[in-house]
Amino acid sequence: MTRAEFITRLRRGLAGLPVTTIADIVADHEAHFADAQAAGRSEAETAAALGDPDRLAREMRAEAGLKQWEERKNPSNAMGAVLALLGLGALDVMFLLPLLMGVLGALFGILVAVVTIFVAGGFVFAAGPLTGPPGGPITAFLTGLGLMGVATCLGALLTLATVGVFNAVVWYARLHFRLLKPAMDQA
Amino acid sequence: MPETIEIQLKKGVLALCVLALLSHADSYAYEIASRLTRDIDMGEGTIYPLMRRMQSDGLVETYLVESQSGPPRKYYRLTAAGRRSFEQQKTEWSTFSNAVNAIVGAAA
Repeated sequence: MTRAEFITRLRRGLAGLPVTTIADIVADHEAHFADAQAAGRSEAETAAALGDPDRLAREMRAEAGLKQWEERKNPSNAMGAVLALLGLGALDVMFLLPLLMGVLGALFGILVAVVTIFVAGGFVFAAGPLTGPPGGPITAFLTGLGLMGVATCLGALLTLATVGVFNAVVWYARLHFRLLKPAMDQA
Repeated sequence: MPETIEIQLKKGVLALCVLALLSHADSYAYEIASRLTRDIDMGEGTIYPLMRRMQSDGLVETYLVESQSGPPRKYYRLTAAGRRSFEQQKTEWSTFSNAVNAIVGAAA
């Protein structure tokens, strides 16, 4: 592979990252080729020693994705990090998927329950006082309010749990791709 | 893959090696990569993702040095946090390697 081919493939692989980041990474590799040339090595030799540019690009994109998730924990960054890692093949999907589906299923179930309690609370709050309940209108009013409060509280806990799950996935994937995956690819 | 354990070991100590090299003198990526390739047979391409990671973790920082030929060269130096991390990892490494040596040596 020539220097130009290597850089083109690297650049293509990095697409989607901030322009300055791409320029920075490309400049690093250009400098590497220049230094290697000064040391009397051919472009093909240098490119072979650097390894697969697509893989290098994937690794740097995955790292950027993880960084974003650590800085700002929102759903789109979580998705981005997981997708970048999937692209890297760092998440052992076959192993992780059943487990992850179970956990996500449970989280979703709890979410449905929370929404239901909230709606039910709202209904008791609004309609209860009009139906002549056992403890009088005030009781129904307060019960409804209480239910909504409980739902809100559970919702907050659910959010924390979800963030926790994503952190665990990121931690696992990071460990996996830092230590194992590159090693296997190089072997 | 018989050599996997060897490669995993190298991966694990790679960051420590970079910190150690930079603790002696500031350096640029090509020089670090050549040294690690020669001494512990690392893939050269590994160095750039690693340096970026160490930079974003605040262990190293960069500065430019004018060169006679071509564009200015990017040098890396340890930050205070990098130096602390090096001292800590160095201690961990020698404790660990001494223990392993003792066990492996005793078995021979």
